[in-house]
Order: sequence, then structure tokens, then C-alpha cells
Amino acid sequence: MTSRALILCLGLPATGLAVDFNRDVRPVLAQHCFKCHGMDDQGRKGKLRLDLREAATGKGKSGELAVVPGKPDASEVIKRVFSKDEDEVMPPPHTKTVLPESAKNILKAWIAEGANYEAHWAYVPPKQAPLPIAGMHPIDSFIQARLKQEGLKPSEEADKYTLVRRVYLDLTGLPPTPAEADAFVNDKSPDAYDKLVDSLLASKQYGERWARRWLDLARYADTNGFEKDRPRPIWPYRDWVVRALNEDMPFDQFSIKQLAGDMLPKATPDDLIATGFHRNTMLNEEGGIDPNEYRFYAMVDRVSVTGTAWMGLTMNCCQCHTHKYDPILHTDFYRTMALLNNADEPTYFIPTAEVEAQQKAQKEKMTKLEAELPGKFPGGKTAMESRFAGWVEGESRRASKWEVIKPTKMETTMPHLDQQADGFILGSGDISKSDVYDLSFKAPIKGVRALRIEVTSHSSLPNNGPGLTNYEGPIGGFFMSELQALQNGQRVKIARAEDTNEDEDDKINDSPATTAKAKAKAAAKAKKKNNAQATLDGEMSSGWQVLGGYGVQHAAVFHFEQPVDLTSGLDLKMLFEKHFACPLGHFRISVTTGEHAEAMGYPAEVEEALAAGDKSKHELLLHTFLENAEEMKQAAAPLLAARKNPARGQATLVMQERPASNPRSTHRYHRGEYLQPKEEVTPAVPAFLPSLPKGEAANRLTFAKWLFAPANPLTARVTVNRQWQAFFGRGIVKSLEDFGYQSDPPSHPELLDWLAVELVKQGWSMKKLHRLIVTSATYKQGSRITPELAQKDAENVLLARGPRFRLEAEIIRDSALKAAGVLSLKMGGPGVYPPQPASVTSEGTYGKVEWKVSEGEDHFRRSLYTFTKRTAPFAMATTFDAPTGESCLAKREVSNSPLQALTLLNDQMFMEAAQAMAKQVMAESKTDDERLQNIIRRAVTRPAAAEEMAMFKAFLQKQRERKVSDEALWADVSRAALNLDEAITHP
Amino acid sequence: MNTSNITRRHFFQDCAIGTGKIALASLLADSAYGATQSPNVAAPTHFQPKAKAVIHMFMAGAPSQLELFDNKPMLTKYEGKPLPPSIIGGQRYAFIRPDAAVLGPRYKFAKHGQCGAELSEMLPHLATVVDDIAIVKSCRTTQFNHAPAQIYMNTGFSQPGRPSMGSWITYGLGAETRDLPSFVVMSTGSGISGGAACWSSGFLPSVYSGTRFRNSGDPILNVSTPQGIESGTQRDTIELINAMNQRRLKLDGDGETATRIANYEMAYRLQSSAPELMDLSKEDEATLKMYGCDPKVPSFARACLLARRMVERGVRFINIYNEGWDAHSDVAGNVKKNCGITDQASAALIKDLKQRGLLDSTLVVWGGEFGRTPMVEASVSLGRSLGRDHHPQAFTMWMAGGGIKGGVTVGATDEMGFNIVEDETHVADLQATILHCLGIDHERLTFSKAGLDFKLTGVEPCHVIKQILA
Repeated sequence: MTSRALILCLGLPATGLAVDFNRDVRPVLAQHCFKCHGMDDQGRKGKLRLDLREAATGKGKSGELAVVPGKPDASEVIKRVFSKDEDEVMPPPHTKTVLPESAKNILKAWIAEGANYEAHWAYVPPKQAPLPIAGMHPIDSFIQARLKQEGLKPSEEADKYTLVRRVYLDLTGLPPTPAEADAFVNDKSPDAYDKLVDSLLASKQYGERWARRWLDLARYADTNGFEKDRPRPIWPYRDWVVRALNEDMPFDQFSIKQLAGDMLPKATPDDLIATGFHRNTMLNEEGGIDPNEYRFYAMVDRVSVTGTAWMGLTMNCCQCHTHKYDPILHTDFYRTMALLNNADEPTYFIPTAEVEAQQKAQKEKMTKLEAELPGKFPGGKTAMESRFAGWVEGESRRASKWEVIKPTKMETTMPHLDQQADGFILGSGDISKSDVYDLSFKAPIKGVRALRIEVTSHSSLPNNGPGLTNYEGPIGGFFMSELQALQNGQRVKIARAEDTNEDEDDKINDSPATTAKAKAKAAAKAKKKNNAQATLDGEMSSGWQVLGGYGVQHAAVFHFEQPVDLTSGLDLKMLFEKHFACPLGHFRISVTTGEHAEAMGYPAEVEEALAAGDKSKHELLLHTFLENAEEMKQAAAPLLAARKNPARGQATLVMQERPASNPRSTHRYHRGEYLQPKEEVTPAVPAFLPSLPKGEAANRLTFAKWLFAPANPLTARVTVNRQWQAFFGRGIVKSLEDFGYQSDPPSHPELLDWLAVELVKQGWSMKKLHRLIVTSATYKQGSRITPELAQKDAENVLLARGPRFRLEAEIIRDSALKAAGVLSLKMGGPGVYPPQPASVTSEGTYGKVEWKVSEGEDHFRRSLYTFTKRTAPFAMATTFDAPTGESCLAKREVSNSPLQALTLLNDQMFMEAAQAMAKQVMAESKTDDERLQNIIRRAVTRPAAAEEMAMFKAFLQKQRERKVSDEALWADVSRAALNLDEAITHP
Repeated sequence: MNTSNITRRHFFQDCAIGTGKIALASLLADSAYGATQSPNVAAPTHFQPKAKAVIHMFMAGAPSQLELFDNKPMLTKYEGKPLPPSIIGGQRYAFIRPDAAVLGPRYKFAKHGQCGAELSEMLPHLATVVDDIAIVKSCRTTQFNHAPAQIYMNTGFSQPGRPSMGSWITYGLGAETRDLPSFVVMSTGSGISGGAACWSSGFLPSVYSGTRFRNSGDPILNVSTPQGIESGTQRDTIELINAMNQRRLKLDGDGETATRIANYEMAYRLQSSAPELMDLSKEDEATLKMYGCDPKVPSFARACLLARRMVERGVRFINIYNEGWDAHSDVAGNVKKNCGITDQASAALIKDLKQRGLLDSTLVVWGGEFGRTPMVEASVSLGRSLGRDHHPQAFTMWMAGGGIKGGVTVGATDEMGFNIVEDETHVADLQATILHCLGIDHERLTFSKAGLDFKLTGVEPCHVIKQILA
């Protein structure tokens, strides 16, 4: 807004420039007129649209010509905007918006000059214009040409201390130590600065600094958000971002991997990890939510964030309706959603050589344990063989001969079921709070007495299954509320049922963590009611449940009252209903004609061998015996435990494109409301942009690549602009997230386009772009705000001086730790817990979370690694405007508040830094003067001036009079230094 | 700085009649917000305000209107029978099935005050101030889960990321005090489902975020000087920092440095004004007794008393959360317990504000994020019985004080307490009414962001609840 005002007052009348449609006219039309006279067919008033010249110069509903090129006085638009008549004036009074005089005059001048329309600058691919001043650094060439136009001069180069501090902070997010600063200041070689830049770009801290900015867009956090706000494993994605930036992965590859890494040919584990970008959406696990409603919100977020991060489009506006200003249709939003909407969202265990070695070792260990079992039988071989023979005889009598039956038809309310070769049925896809499986069978078996449902784990399921529950409840579990058998629509009576998971703990309990006793009581109460028998009681709130996990194997057996003839078919209806979605994911149905069927608790093949008296299965039976025998309980325990806990890689959240057999359809949602899905839409990019390449599948990968197609006018500009803002505090286009009609026109359009084209030419290299920026004279200018500059260009739009702004939260904390000499440079890994008052997470958040302060090195890690809890974010970070990860952020606010002063003055973390700094300084320096200089240089890089030394010495004197101990005294001084405006400001 | 400030300044300058303490503006050349626009000064309003401050007692978890305000004898008559599907429509529930049986009110109701409003026996204290409050029995929300519903009530949107009411209001009206934060959040109970999003400034500058007053440790984070540093040293330190910053300001000419200097001064004042605020030793015995407040123990009652003290000191917007109303089981016990915590203090707050002449300028709001079902919640697997599930279609809130007419009841539900049959009041209507009492036209308090003009009350038309205005 200010820049527009600047242009209006600097530009139009003074220099006598002609009206420029994009710069002057479109912002007026977009802000004041398009809402009712734009591309939105629904909202259009008076049958007039002003966004197209053809339409604007035609007749409106009133019969008047809205725009008569060259003749403002004959144009109805001009008549209306200047009208004093309440019934006539535009915009009408009820809109409560007023058109400023300057805007009216722009419209008048524009029509007088012929009412020319031009394409919006951002929607036309950028071109590199020749440099306005030849032989200069390209950036300086554009900036200085403009300054000259405005009658301004660039500032002198900043002094070397300022420069080294600035470039350290910008490229690594950390200030230099006094020694690092001196190394540069004392390097008299002509390429001293270039060498410094190269070394900083090559440092590991570079990736950490720039990852943080990307994670703002990615709305990265370590918890799920909403009420429960449980931790989630996604830090491998954060570490991937750091690695990619340090490797200078080209930005196109960087982006394509994040949007569609799983779809790349021969996708690597890293490619999968990268897809965590869109897994950073929140997950509501509150009891009783509709999971598909929140999945819808996550998809809405993904479309909006993709619009913001890559295209500078405010796609978010089109969730509910066609864009009021920009040429994006309501349908465009959902067609873009369709491109992104065909993925499952599994937890991925990252395979590494280390994990593979562990798995191998574990396998060997288990083989060994198994082999050792017979030798551990009390009483030796003879005793074992006699007991085993007895066991086989007894168990054989209990065993029944089961026959697997496969459904002839499978219908469900939502999940997708696939018949597997082994007779098991595997579920996938979306789930709801009330899912019904309707399975039909027909088999040449008569006299069926009982039916068995086996449920076992499967690696494709959440937490290995056997259920599909993927939020809120016990992950990977299921809850079968009711089971009905039908023949020809008539209920087949089931006399009773039993299951094999008698001793499972019931953890389905929505009561928030109160006392352990109360929880145990509630669980015990529920356990008695939750078993296979409860699926027959007509009561929905009780049922058979199995908790998820690796190696789970259970079964339930249902006994028919009368033998059933399967030749005339049988339908099974299973209802899975709870306050969270809980359908079954991996199961197999078998039947028996035997009279004494029971749920034995052995794997099916064991029961089969027992029933058949199959001698060839001796080994299998012996091992089953040894693992289950009462006298082997202790000996078998290590083996059973090892089986339950397989070695597996670190978990992270990824996207996985769905198989062609189960595509997800996407609909348009009326008014953006989840409960109002309308027609199905096909995947496509917004219609006003170049379309997806012909012949390519319209999917996520094609879309991701399309963002980087030469014809795409937006991505390179948006990317360059965001980088520019990081260095200068303001983008060439001020609204980083909006390049639409309502955005501020670029302050230096030719420079923006030049840089955008250059970025592509340089293979989308971020490091090259960053080097280009920091080696410009524009960047290196001093940042002093002279009264003249304060008056002429308070926002520093024209860059007649270097950038000055308060540092980001993370940089402030990391700077203090580095200044104190305690910063740990350890990279990567799970989030850590630096000190903060306990009440931040213990009060006011659901479930009272304890913030267990990390000890040792993790106490002092870079802020990038601080565990981020969405509903109770790290207090210091929030106080200094860091985002909570609840929504995508292109540009942080830069606030200035008393709470910031309290934090820097009194927070334990900063107090610890001051104390650590004092200790080091006292050891390093002896005299007051040396110590003061040491402290000030650590905090602000440059040496203190005499006047400043005097101020600090007066402080010293006063504290000595207060009889403050030496250690405390120097901590006080360090603390004051860390609080200086300069210590937290980009110089 | 931002388009938004232009919008706001534009509207407030063009439309204001002006009641704020403009003089403060000159004290603080806050460059971040433009020379005339600082979060630390009061700004003019759209029209003459009635209230200067708001105390919102947020009954998190959602109290049962059927046990407190909305007497439905028919539920007793039909207890054990399901409601016809025609009443229920397509409503989704968190835990129960739509065909659950209805549950009669667990408590007796009686008429109170001159207005004769009906209240349950669980609200004996509120009954003594019933002529001062306006009861709205026809509140309705779109959300049926706690976190989204709490965020919706606070921000007008069900997902995190939008500014909360307190943020909008302090953004719109600025501050009356420079010694305390303008937007304060207190919470006593098990935890707020919506979390920090409930008092977030969203896309407004973060200075408009609610400041948590905490029960343990410092009431405001880091408001105490660290242990081992005496107050003289603290003062000297701030003076040194500010002297150094003054020097820097002269050299670099950055207005942000001037703001920082002012903020260190304010931080210093906060270090004494916060403890002074928290020190209840000067409150007389009768006052403590009226609230039922032990001054040493954090409680809802103490938060109410502190809220009065905050209002006296110029705090603009105060949230007091009492969590624990989520009666999925034993609604009778739940209501009894929570009324034991809140009833006396809520009524005492009204009386206390009134006796000090502050009620006319303080808007008091009481209510939860949604209501509870006329149907019973019971579940064998969860061990629940005689509870009520979440009910977004109808719930009750009350308001009192600045701008509100006492002794009024607005709205009614059907015989079963399921649907609203009279004066439907959406969350946005409540928000519009709160803004109205403060002299703000909800349609004109806007912020431009990512191509949209955002308002607290959203895009759907909404109205001020005229019937309850004084």
C-alpha cells in the first residue's frame, strides 16, 4: 500500500508519466470494482465486467457504455465514480468502501488515454531486460538506475564489522565470533569478501538458517495440533530440508521431490522423506471428530499452501467462491485439489544400512533363540518329548479343520478391500466413524457349524494393523461393534462367539489423563464388555477389539445355532463404529463343519496341522509347543519379546500415490463447506495459466514439474522475491504470498524479472542467487537512516541504504548462545527442549504436558531443533513472532514489544547465556577494558566506542558499589550487552 | 507498514467520533505501526461505546444448558425414548448415535428476580443478580468438537490461524494502560482444547496476542527479575541498555530503536505493576468472601477477582477459562462440580463491578463453545452413563454490564431443547454484539490478508442482538 502511495505521489503527475494499466489502473479496478464487475459470474452486478476490455467498452445493464476509450466524460464509469448521488455513486455506499480522489483521477486519465488493457505483469513469463547501467553488478545496475531517477544516491559501503556481521547473520543465521570477524576485517586481499561469502555458503549452518525460512512455509511442527496435539515423527523431513539446502539442490528438484517425490522413477528413501512437506498439515484427534472432514481441511490447506509457496496465488480465496479479484475460478481450486488428492498418507520407516544390519542381527538372534529352546526344557529331551506328545494329542482333539472361504462380492461404506492370494482381505483408503463391510460368500460346503475371522498384522497398515485406525484410537487397531450373518436377507442366528485376545488391555478411553487409578478402572470396566460375544448383542458401544501392533495374530469364532448351507450363499455384515474410525484392515474368513470349533489362539497352520495329524509339520508343532508351554514361560520370553519389537528405521510421515485400482475422487464443495460436495472434478491447473503438458497424466508429479515449466510465469518470480525479502526485509513485490491483481506492483519490475530468469539460467541454484545478492553494492551499503531517507523513503523501497530489521526469534536465541560460546553445532535428530518456564506447556493446554528440559549439549542446540508444539509453542519464539506451524507463513511479522524486553532480560535461557559468557570472558581477558570489549564484541561484533566504554564502566562502578560478586558482575554486563538493540538487529 | 493499518486507520479516522486517549500517541513514536498508530495507545471508535473492557468467562468443555438455563420438562416425560429423525435432521455427533434416547433435566428450575427468569437450582448465586444479566437461550454454532468450536467462538473460524476476539478488539481500540498488557488470558482447570489458537493474534501483529497470566511461576512469563539480581541492578541494567540504545538511535536513526527504548521502560513498569495487580492483600475480607476466593490459591474465583482488578487498571479484554464442563458421563455430577467452582464467583464479579461503578463500562460474557444434547450419552466400552454429548444446535450464554440490558431473556428452543425456535443467535451475532458494545461496527473492523478482507464475524451476514442492548 505504501509503495503504491509512493508511486502515486512520486510517479504520476510529477514526472508526467503516462498511466500504466498494470501499475496504476488494475490495482484500482481490482480493489474497488472487480468484486462485482469481475470474472465471478455469481457475484456480478449490472451485467458489467470491467476485467475485459471488450466487455467494459460494451453496454451494461443500464444501457450506458461503461468505458468509452478516449472519452472519459462519455464513460458511465467516470460518471458513476465521481457522482455525489447516493443511488448512483460507485462503489455504492453499502459496500462501505470509498474510492480515493487519486484513484478516480487515475481512471479518468486511463480512459482519456484510450483505456488500454495489459496482461497482468505476473501472469506473463519474465524476460531479462538489458542492464540499465552497463558494466555494473546487475542488481546495482537496476537499483541505482532507479535511485538516479528518484534523485537519490546509494549509501556508502558499510564498515567491515557491520558487513561481516550482516553476511554471517544472513547466510548462516549466526553472528561471527570476534575472531571470525577479525579474520575478515584483517584480510586485506581484494577478494576477502568473496572468500568469506563462499565459506559461509559452504558451511553446514547455511542449510540450517535457510531451512527455517522454508519450514515457515511448510508449517512444520512436531505435534499434530488441535486438542490432543500429540507428538508426530516428522523431523526427518526437517533434516532433509537442511541437507538439500546445504547440497544446493536445485530449487526445482527441491520442490518436485517435496510435492511428488514418491512418484519419481526409482524413488529413494530421501525422495519419500521429502514428501513430508504436505504431511505437515494438522491432524485433529479429538474424540468424536469426523476424520474425513479434517482430511478435507488438510487438502484445502495443501492447495492454499501450494498456491502461496510456489505460485504467489491466493488460492485460499477460491475454496468458497470464484476469486473476487484474480482470474481463479471456484472450480480451479478443486481441480488443483484433485491433482494433489490421490495419495495415501502412511508412516514411513526409513531404511538405512544400520537398520538392515540390526534386522539381520535380530533375525540371527531369533534363529539362535529358537534353536536353543529345546535345550532349555526342564528335565531334558526325554521330558520334553513326552510332554510334547501329550500336548499334541490333547490339542489335536481341540483343533478343527477349517476351510478358507473367499467372498464373491465385497462392498463397504468407504474403505477399499482387496482379496489377497492367501485368502486374506486387505483394507486401504479412507475410513469413517461408522463403516460397514458387506461380504457375500458362496461355497460348496454344507453343514457349517462355525465361522472364524482371523486378524493379523500387515506392513501396509497403520502401526502394522490389523485394523485401519490411523488417528485418535489405538493406532492399527479395530473395533467390530456388530456382526450379522444373513441368508437371502434373513438373519442366521449365531449362538455365541469367543475370541483369542482375552488379556488385551483396553486402551480405548477418551477421558483425558486424570489419575492412573481412574484410567485403570475405566479400562477394566470396558474390557469385560469388549469381546467377540459383544458383537452379537445389538449394542453398538460394545464390540470386539484388537489393538494394533507388529505381529498381532488373533481370531474370533462364531458358532451358528443351526448348521448353515453355504451352497445357497451367506452374507456377512460387519459394523465398525466408535467415536473414531476403526474398521478392520487384514482378515480372513474360514468355516468349519466340525462340532467342537473354538478360538484356539494358534496360527491357522498350527491348528490345521494339529487337526490333520500332519507328521511333516513336526518342527512347527514342536516350536509352537515350546513357545506356549507353561514350563517354558521364562525361557521363551526373550524370543517372544524379540518378535514383537522388530528393528525398523526412524518413522517419518510421507505421501504415497494410490494404486490405480483405488483412485480417490475429488468434488467441488459448494461455499467450500465439507457437507456440501457437488459435482466431481477432473484434475487440472487453474484455467488462466498455461495448461499441463498434453499427453502427461494429470497428477501430482506432472503438476510439480509444471510449476517449473518455462511457460510458467510465477514460480521463478515468487521464489526470487522471497529470497530478496530475506536479505532486504522487504520483497521487490511486497506481498510475498500474493502476486495477483491486488498485490503491490513490484518496486523494481525489471530487476525482479531479470533475477527470475537468471535463477532459471543458473539451474535454480539458491546458493548462486544468494551469492549474487550479497555481493552487490546494494546489499553492502550502510544502513543508517538519514533524515532525508526517513522522509523520502521510510520503508527503504528504493534501497538507497542497507537493510535494517529486528532479527528472527531463532537467530536472536542462537546469537546469544554463540556469543556466550555455548552453542552446540550438532545437526539433526529429534526436537530438543531448551529451558522455558514450566507453565508454558503445563497450563492451559489439554492434558498438561511436561516440558522436560534437555540436558547437556541438547540444552544449547540451534533453535531450528527446538521441539515445536502447536498448541503451546516455545514461548520465546512466539514472543519474537515465530510461527506456530498452524498455518503457512510467507513472511513473519516483525513486532517490537515489552514482552520481548522481559524475555531478553529475565528468561532463564538468556540468563544462562550471560553467565556462561561471563565465565569465558573472565578466563580470556583480564582488565576491565579487555573484558568489556570482549563482551561487546561477542554481542555486537564491532569494538565499543570510547563513549560506550564509559557507559559500561559507570555501570561496573555502580554494581561494584552494590557489592555484586565478580562473577555476577560480569554476568550483568553480558546480560546488558545481549539486550542491546544492536544485538538483535540485522545491522 | 501494512495495507491493513491503512484500512484500519482509514476507517477509524474517517468514521470516528473519538473517545480514546490520543495524548499517549505522542509518547511513543512507534515506527512499526506508523507514527500515529501504536498498539499501546487507545484509538477512536466507530460510534459511542458503552463498554471499555470485556471479561469473557469461557466455560470450556461446554456446560449443559439443560441443567442450567433451558428448562425442558418434556424431556422428563419422554425420557428413555428417542427423538424422531425429523427433529435430528442430518446432525453429526461426536460420540452418540442420533437415535439415542432423551434424558430429562437432572435439576429443578425456579423463577428468579423481577424479570422472573428461570434458572436451575445449581445457580443460586447467579439467581441473585439475574436482573443484571441478559440470557440468550438461542445460541448456535457450526462446530461440534471442542477445539474447533472454541477456536470458532474466539476467532470466528474453526481452524487455527485467525485473530481472536481479544486481538481484534485491542487492534481496533488500542490500549488504556501502558503498565499491563491489554489482552489477558487466565485459565484454571484441566486444559483448553483449542490451545494457544484461542488467544492468538492470527495474522494481526503478534503484539495483539493475548498474554497468559499463569498460575505457577511468574504471572506473566519472565516478569520477575532473575534470582540473584537485585532490583537496583535491574534498574541500572535497563538504564544502561536504554542509554546505549539512545546512542544507537542517534547514529542510525531507526525508529524501531526508539520503540525498543520505550518497551524496556514498559517492561520495567510491568515488573512492578504485575505483582501489584496480583497482590490481593489490600482486598477486604468481605470482597474475598463474596468471591469465595483464597488469595493464595489459583482458582476461578481468584481469576474473577483479578479480572476486576485488571479492569480497574485499564486492561481491555480478559479471558477466564474454566475447563471441565465436558459431561459425557454423569451430567448431574459435572454440573454440580463446575457450578461449585464458577457460580458464586461469576455472580460476585457482577456485584463487585456494580458496587464499584464499573459494570456500566465493563461487558461481562459467560458461556461455552456449544451446548449439550437432549439425548443421553452412555457407552459400555467407555464406561459412560447419564451423560450428554456435544450439541451445536442450541446453547445458552449470558451477558451483562456495558451496553447490555439486564433482566432480559432472548430466544427459545423447542419443547425438547433440540432446535432453536425463536431468535436464532449465531456465534457471529454474539461477536458482533460484543464489538457493538465497544463502539465497533463489526463490518468495518477489517484486515487485508492474502487477497481477502478479513473480519472477526466472517462473510455470512450477521446481526447485533438488539433485544439485549441497553
